[in-house]
Formats: sequence, structure tokens, C-alpha cells
Amino acid sequence: MSDTTKLTAEKRSDFGKGAARKIRRAGNIPAVMYGHGTDPVHISLPGHDTMMALKQANALLTIVIDGDEQLALAKDVQRDPIKPVIDHVDLVVVRKGEKVTVDVAVHLEGEAAPETVVTLDNNTLQLEVLATNIPENVVVSVEGLTAGTQIHAGAVELPEGATLVTDEDALVVNVTQAISEEALEAELAEAEAEAGIEREESDEEAASAEGEAGESAESTEAAPADEA
Amino acid sequence: MLIPRRVKHRKQHHPNRHGAAKGGTTIAFGEYGIQALEPAYVTNRQIESARIAMTRYIKRGGKVWINIYPDRPLTKKPAETRMGSGKGSPEWWIANVKPGRVMFELSGVSEPVAREAMRLAMHKLPMKCRFIQREGGDI
Repeated sequence: MSDTTKLTAEKRSDFGKGAARKIRRAGNIPAVMYGHGTDPVHISLPGHDTMMALKQANALLTIVIDGDEQLALAKDVQRDPIKPVIDHVDLVVVRKGEKVTVDVAVHLEGEAAPETVVTLDNNTLQLEVLATNIPENVVVSVEGLTAGTQIHAGAVELPEGATLVTDEDALVVNVTQAISEEALEAELAEAEAEAGIEREESDEEAASAEGEAGESAESTEAAPADEA
Repeated sequence: MLIPRRVKHRKQHHPNRHGAAKGGTTIAFGEYGIQALEPAYVTNRQIESARIAMTRYIKRGGKVWINIYPDRPLTKKPAETRMGSGKGSPEWWIANVKPGRVMFELSGVSEPVAREAMRLAMHKLPMKCRFIQREGGDI
């Protein structure tokens, strides 16, 4: 992930919510850039390009201000809770050859043993890597793992040149035994009875449709039995 | 069903329904989530109903998280009662949900299964919701 996205920024001198809103109305994003002991620089970034660049985790950006290029990483992105827009970005200045600490996503690969549930307890791992060589994700294979298996951060195979910052004992993947069909039905029936919930036709249909897709025919036969 | 073990005050005022969620607006535990788009009081029965609908669909694969808790009591006066003579008795337990709040999360299933399970769950909830999923830049 060494390629960078170039964003042309403009310095801004007006601050406060009024000025910030004006920038957002114009389709830009107010941002601040700091790091390496330099004074913070308040800038505005092109809205759409920034949004597209930040879709990738730990994207390395090249910020162009008045013709000067500067490498930066997004340290904090403030998003609107409902609308898909970015309100503000904090950028931290990085240099080529410098090591940075970033959160890298964990990606699971393979199929665990049947009748198991694989839970990702830590979605990200904190790694120390070169700023110009940040891995997209860390791949953890769960192929054939049986119930009771746990993979801790220390056991995860890291990309070349990366150092683990997260505690080595932190649980990353937990493989547990799937609840039996009878136990699940009993638990759901009990919960429904306690809450006084009556099952609807749509639920029955959905359950049977899912049964056809994934499970054997036995599960679809069992569904009408618990109607009472 | 989710019910607080004990509360400081048995009867409370109605919670404020204005504004957007201040926290809990992104997926924290799972891969997929149900996000509220409108403010609403969600009762413990609705939460349980949504959980059951989701769990029934995903069967034995996957894990469900509930990110909201019905910690506020709502009272109701009995039918055909004249006004006055004090506040009614507690009738429901509700979670005050504001737009943007991620209420349920799910992991360990494929996207089409999660989408359908959450669609069924959304029908049990009293507000407009949407299906969201974890993306690279949102981590």
C-alpha cells in the first residue's frame, strides 16, 4: 500500500462553526494538519476526493499546499452520524522511512470445522510499520480450526517489517461450539413465551427459506413444530 | 427480556427525543449493524422480538450484539380514569434511541444472510432503520 493519493488543499484563515459550515457548503472539508513539532496548519480539502481516499483504512495522503507536498495520515475522521459526509479530518504529518503506529484490520480466511462459530474479538491490531508501507490487513487463517481454539495477537503472522504493539495476550479469534438446534429452539421458545411474542407467518417463511438455503431439510420440518 | 434489576426512581419523566446520537454511531463489535434513522422509544419487547427474529434466521452460525438497553420506565394511567390523582404506574421499559445509533450488531455470517436477518429484525422496530457494514476506512 505504498501508492499515495494526492489532494490539493487550500489554507484557511477563518475559523469557527460559521466559517467551517461555509467550507462544507462549498463541497470542501475543513481539516487540520500537524506533527513533527510544526505548528498546526488549518486547511480545506476537496470533499469528494477526500471521501474517496479515506474509504481505504490508513490511507497515505500527499497534501499539496501552495505547491509544497507533504505526506500525511488521517489521525481522526469526524463523520456525520446519519449522512454519508465527513465533517472534519485531523491529519498527522509523516515522513518517508518513518515508522508509525496504526490500527490494521484483521481478515479471516478459510472455513473452520463444522458446528463451530468463529468470533473475531479484536477487529484490528495495532502495528508499528513504515509509513510508506502500511499493510491493508492482517490475514488470519481459521481453516479447519476446532471448537475451543483461540488465536492470540502474539500468534498472528504479521506482514514483513511490522512490529506488534497490541498486547500479545489479546484475544483475536475465538472458535466456540455452535449451540445445538434443540437448545436454540428451546431458548428462543422460552424467550418468546417470556416476552409474550407470537410468531408471525413471515418469520416462519423466512426461517424455512433459510433452512432450504443453508441447512438440511430436517430444519424446515422442525420449524412448524414449535409454532405452539 | 431486558429489565433493570433496580432503579433509583420508579417513575421518571419522558426522555428527551431531540437531536442525534452522540456516541455508538459506528459498528464496534460485529461486521454488520442496524442503525436508527429516526428517534424512537424502543421497548424491551421490541428489542427481544428483533433479537429472536435475527437469531431464528441465522440459526446457529453467527453472533448477535445488542447495543441498547431499556433502562427508562414509562408510565400509563389505567383506562377510563379521570385526570389527576398522581402519575400512572410503570408500564414499559424503553431505550431512548436517537438517529444514528447502532442498535444491533451481527458477525460470523455472510452478507446476504446478515442483510436478510436484519431486514426481518428491522420490521420489529418502531423507527426507520438501515443496514450498515464495516468498511475499510471506518475502522
